[in-house]
Amino acid sequence: MQRGFYLVTRDLHLYAGLFISPFLVVFAVSVFVLVHPPGSLPSPSAERTARPVQNLEIPAGLENLSGRARIDAVRPLLDRAGVHGEIGSIRYIPKEHRLSVPVGVPGRETTFDLDLDRRSATISGRETGIWDALVQLHKSPGPHLAEIRMNWIAMRAWRWLADATVYLLLFISVSGIYLWTVLRLERRAGMAMLAAGAVSFFGIVYALVAG
Amino acid sequence: MPSSRDDCVRRVLDIFEVWNRRLHFYIGLYLLFFLWLFAFTGLLLNHPGWTFAEFWPTRKQTAFERAITPPPVGPDLAQAENILKQLGLSGEIEWTSARADARRLDFRASRPGHIFEIKTDFDRERATVRRIDLNVWGVMHILHTFTGVRAGDSRNQRDWLLTSIWAFTMDAVGIGLMIMVLGSYYMWWRLPRKRAWGLVALISGWAVCLLFVVGLRLLV
Repeated sequence: MQRGFYLVTRDLHLYAGLFISPFLVVFAVSVFVLVHPPGSLPSPSAERTARPVQNLEIPAGLENLSGRARIDAVRPLLDRAGVHGEIGSIRYIPKEHRLSVPVGVPGRETTFDLDLDRRSATISGRETGIWDALVQLHKSPGPHLAEIRMNWIAMRAWRWLADATVYLLLFISVSGIYLWTVLRLERRAGMAMLAAGAVSFFGIVYALVAG
Repeated sequence: MPSSRDDCVRRVLDIFEVWNRRLHFYIGLYLLFFLWLFAFTGLLLNHPGWTFAEFWPTRKQTAFERAITPPPVGPDLAQAENILKQLGLSGEIEWTSARADARRLDFRASRPGHIFEIKTDFDRERATVRRIDLNVWGVMHILHTFTGVRAGDSRNQRDWLLTSIWAFTMDAVGIGLMIMVLGSYYMWWRLPRKRAWGLVALISGWAVCLLFVVGLRLLV
């Protein structure tokens, strides 16, 4: 019985670990960009040529909508224009009767500039590169704009995957502890590492919070 | 008959195998609390609707005013550090607004769980401090993101030793994770009976991950 439990745990530890390993790499690599960010934003040379879209069927009162309702109303216009991605916070410019709609895909930013009077839009954007994609994924969904975020199916899937990565990481860490305890010869050294880690962790956190 | 060179290679490989395995769980055990913190707080950050972990509505705010001696003329950072020392406070200094008046210096000093918003008037020789204290959930949230720097913001640099130590810790956790991942690939590959299903798990993981990192940009 105990042997069976050990073997099953070992296999689950292995396969779950292999599956989430690329996600851990994404989170681990993006940490370096977040901790040591570049001083300036990506160069404008990465900008793409703007293109116009005409004759858009704009829903009446679009500018008066807010939050998720505005996102849902803008989405068909974006689909028609062939712009896909996660819609960010939409800005309304009353003087020009214009909506500026930011649309993001990991590694790319697009702005859908919608002229409500002329029923036209200008699409511009830039490639922000793989590092920015990693950072974007690391921070998604994140705590901000909770009402409107995850409005694109791909990012909804990412949210699920990000959560799954955490749950599987917790599982492989707990199962890893079990697998280590079975190795009698390594108990003392492992215990020393665990204790050293605990002292480092609580020591740093204490210094940061109360020191 | 195996040559002495083959024996030597075999020995090196054996040592590598033993130490790769040991490193896998030594690093895992050493980083355990760090990994749990970052994993759990990542989950909290992704679920702001989880009310049990609320910290901003329950924050405690206090304000006080203190006499200060105007710091010597010098860079903003040196003046801010001087004022913090006089007030008996410490933390990562953050510039909240551009300085318009040389006789005033406004800034924020923060550390996980505590935020100090400081406004000074050198002519009156006074400093007004608004202190915000957060609960344990707030501390955990901030630990996840406490780097002292932001992309595209060159004015705010890491200026507190403990922020640098924490940033180094974050780097170390990242490096440790990657060593564990690479080591686990080798250990898995040395198990011929597990290769097929392992390959399925690994390829599906990488395929999904690469779809998000590069694929979406190419597909849509």
